[in-house]
Amino acid sequence: MRESSTVPEDVKQRLNRLLIFMVICFLILVISLWYLQMIKGEEFKERAVGNCIRTLVEDAPRGRIYDRQEELLVTNRPAVVVSIIPAEVDDLEKLSERLSKIIGISPEEISQIVKNYRENPFKPVKILDDCSTNKTVEIEERKDELKGVVLEVKPRRDYLYHDFAAHSLGYVGEIDKEELLQFGNPKYQGGDIIGKAGLEKYYDDILRGEKGGKEVEVDALGQEIATLLYQKPVPGKDLVLTIDRDLQLCGENLLFDKKGSIVVSDPNSGEILALVNRPSFNPNLFANGISSSDWQKLSFDTDYPLTNRSVQGLYSPGSIFKVVTAAAALEEGVTDIKRKIYCSGTFELAGRVFNCSKETGHGSLSIVDAITHSCNIYFYTLGKDLGIERFNKYMQKYGLGEKTGIDLPEEAIGTIPSAQWKERKIKEIWFPGDTINLSIGQGYLLLTPLLVHSLITTIAAEGEVYKLHLVKKIISADGNTVEEIKPEIHKKVNFSSDTFKIIKEGLRQTILKGTGWRANIQELAVAGKTGTAQNPQGETHAWFIGFAPYENPEVCITVFIENGGEGGVAAAPIARAMLEKYFNIKN
Amino acid sequence: MKEKLDRLTENIDFALLFAVVFLCFYGLLVLFSSTRLAVTTGSDPYFFVKRQSLWVLSGFIFLTIIMFIDYHNLERYSKVIYFGAIVLLMMVIISGRSTYGARRWLAIGPFDFQPSEFAKIALIMFLADFLSKNKLKFDNFLYYLLPFIYTGLLMLLVFVQPDLGTSLVYLAILIIMLFVAGIKIKFLVFTFFAGISSVPVLWIFLKDYQKNRLILFLNPNLDPLGGGYNVIQSRIAIGSGGFLGNGIFRGLQSQLNFLPAQHTDFIFSVVGEELGFVGTILLLGLYAIVLWRGIKIALEARDLLGSLLATGAVSFLFFHIVVNIGMAMGMLPATGLPLPFLSYGGSFMISNLMAIGILLNVELHKVKW
Repeated sequence: MRESSTVPEDVKQRLNRLLIFMVICFLILVISLWYLQMIKGEEFKERAVGNCIRTLVEDAPRGRIYDRQEELLVTNRPAVVVSIIPAEVDDLEKLSERLSKIIGISPEEISQIVKNYRENPFKPVKILDDCSTNKTVEIEERKDELKGVVLEVKPRRDYLYHDFAAHSLGYVGEIDKEELLQFGNPKYQGGDIIGKAGLEKYYDDILRGEKGGKEVEVDALGQEIATLLYQKPVPGKDLVLTIDRDLQLCGENLLFDKKGSIVVSDPNSGEILALVNRPSFNPNLFANGISSSDWQKLSFDTDYPLTNRSVQGLYSPGSIFKVVTAAAALEEGVTDIKRKIYCSGTFELAGRVFNCSKETGHGSLSIVDAITHSCNIYFYTLGKDLGIERFNKYMQKYGLGEKTGIDLPEEAIGTIPSAQWKERKIKEIWFPGDTINLSIGQGYLLLTPLLVHSLITTIAAEGEVYKLHLVKKIISADGNTVEEIKPEIHKKVNFSSDTFKIIKEGLRQTILKGTGWRANIQELAVAGKTGTAQNPQGETHAWFIGFAPYENPEVCITVFIENGGEGGVAAAPIARAMLEKYFNIKN
Repeated sequence: MKEKLDRLTENIDFALLFAVVFLCFYGLLVLFSSTRLAVTTGSDPYFFVKRQSLWVLSGFIFLTIIMFIDYHNLERYSKVIYFGAIVLLMMVIISGRSTYGARRWLAIGPFDFQPSEFAKIALIMFLADFLSKNKLKFDNFLYYLLPFIYTGLLMLLVFVQPDLGTSLVYLAILIIMLFVAGIKIKFLVFTFFAGISSVPVLWIFLKDYQKNRLILFLNPNLDPLGGGYNVIQSRIAIGSGGFLGNGIFRGLQSQLNFLPAQHTDFIFSVVGEELGFVGTILLLGLYAIVLWRGIKIALEARDLLGSLLATGAVSFLFFHIVVNIGMAMGMLPATGLPLPFLSYGGSFMISNLMAIGILLNVELHKVKW
């Protein structure tokens, strides 16, 4: 059974030496613990308990947001929070009564808040947020009789222009439980303020910074007598947007009482100069923790003020879409600059009659004329000749099936109908009539205003599409540029230059003598296309897309008015006003 | 069957097993105290304890498996185990999940695990096999260098994660095992100086960001969270515990979330604050039992292989214990090594219990079955 061990004697000897070494190490640990806990223990205990040590978290100021001219848009203001540290309160009833007289919250409510909080008695419980200066001074003066009450100064988000660009900027709020679990990162803690929507959310990591804190000793009266430890918060970095404040404000005013969006961007860089969404909301409401009545009002409003229409809203594009039909037909050789089609006012297919916008008909038209006058018959014919398969190919080429990649968290993708799509979703086969509807942007097709905007940037830049973005650079709190966001090619749409030229010519004529004449500006060569989209919600949606100047485009614009009527009437004048503002033209 | 059971009860080290089980329960209690108020747990104060209990149970399953496979099989498998560890560590570098800027984790299904922990066990097994086979050749400098190269490869792979602490554990295991196996002291001294003098040469090959990391390791005050901050907090916490401590769940520092890693690297300070000198000495006593029984097992092993296996397991636990507690008291620089059986973490808990499995295995097989 037990054989004698074959472990060499010298190994055993060294094992014993190892044992001795370990014993010495342990002895050193024991002696150190003795010193730390038994000899110095009382001293440390005094530091930890005798004088109460109070820990206060100091939030990092969130990064500020500027427009492209570095005009301040969003900043932080100090807000005073009145809290009670339960562990320091001797008589809660008395304290509540005294505090109540100053801040005007009933004593019952104050003591209820404190009693309901069962987590950590050493952590301040918030009683009143954003306390007024008068009340703050009074509390400060009566500190002696308000033991346990602490005033904390917290940075509070301040949106200087209220509902200005609210959907792009987004808003902040206290992190909720789901988000805590979802992030699962000790960087985040309960009570943290994080971005909840828009750029505030997308760039949260950059804007947020790192919070600090301090440990202060307080005496029996709650007066701070020494700061034991102080960890400075690291402020968040600032964002400089591509948005131009004045242009954005102009757009906000133009859409003031309407529902809709305006997108203005530079096709040579993808920088968005204005992104207007109306109706809007005031993100300051969220900064203080939104009241339930305000929240109800916003979320049940049937005009959906919280929706970022330009990136989330899905709408029928109407005749705007003819630029896609035109490109597909030209590229596939279905039509060319010479082909003329006669418009009698109606178009028949398989027993169904489709109408043109002009009942009496446009007569014989080339593709340029057809774009100019937005003739449906011409495009029905092209749609019929193309067929849905080839059509789909060009919708994909334009990038309509994907996101534009804008730096906002909410971007939706469009509904791009195809034969397979219809079978899957509607359980019906694709009818030729569906293609006819699609050829003028009606039917199942739904796009966001931003995707529609990507059509005009593609045409203006002749296929070299830059990624749309809202942030120009990121600046550290001390003002040194951290990161310059370089224009980035999003995709290349390789249509022939003739295709682009013909479409552009059509768009120019549209402004000069066609449906877009209301967007014409004497001093500036504008090109554009109107759209009037039928929809199940009622009045037609009004669309306008355009760019200027015609020769070397500097800006692209998309105007969308929900249930606004005719594109040429409702949307084109707004585009004109925006372009006048951008090019500084006085009318 | 009955005979087997008798043999098992005859040859199993109950003192060791008792100390380990006691330590695990002790750990769960302290863990609960330090995490029940943590906001990251959401609404469930038992969140961390539940998970840790699961790791303890899985650890004991590993322990049992390792205990029963006769360690003499290692002769065949030690190389496979070693290369397995290399492959896993490379996978971490290629596709690992990173937290706090370091890639240490590998996802397997819903679980994340740290291959660098299991590599400790792999290293112990591999070195024990290698050293026991080549003991007589140690006079040859080349044979002496080989284990350094094998271990160095593992160290390099975790060092780039970057995880300096763990690569130092590998080194500690290697040196203690070499010492026990009977390396000439002059070789060790020589290597030490060779290592020191090669640092400037290596420095030239490092990229800027790697240099920054190294500087950060050597000077933790450059750490944005402030390495000094943790240590001061930890010292105050331990010291304020006094003789009896503030009582479990009643530590001021611990309950205030003041210690950033209080359930992982700094859990010892929670013991110190809440359970006082009595609690820390009890903990050290339990560790002493584990290490003493470990050395005893090494002394009584059937052969050199068993003896070296036990030495490796003991040196792994010993290094972690001393460095972690020394760090919590501010005597050693903060390297981020967790405390065996107490710190929160699945891979570490399992590797601790695997080391105990090795000890029990050597004990169990000191007689022929």
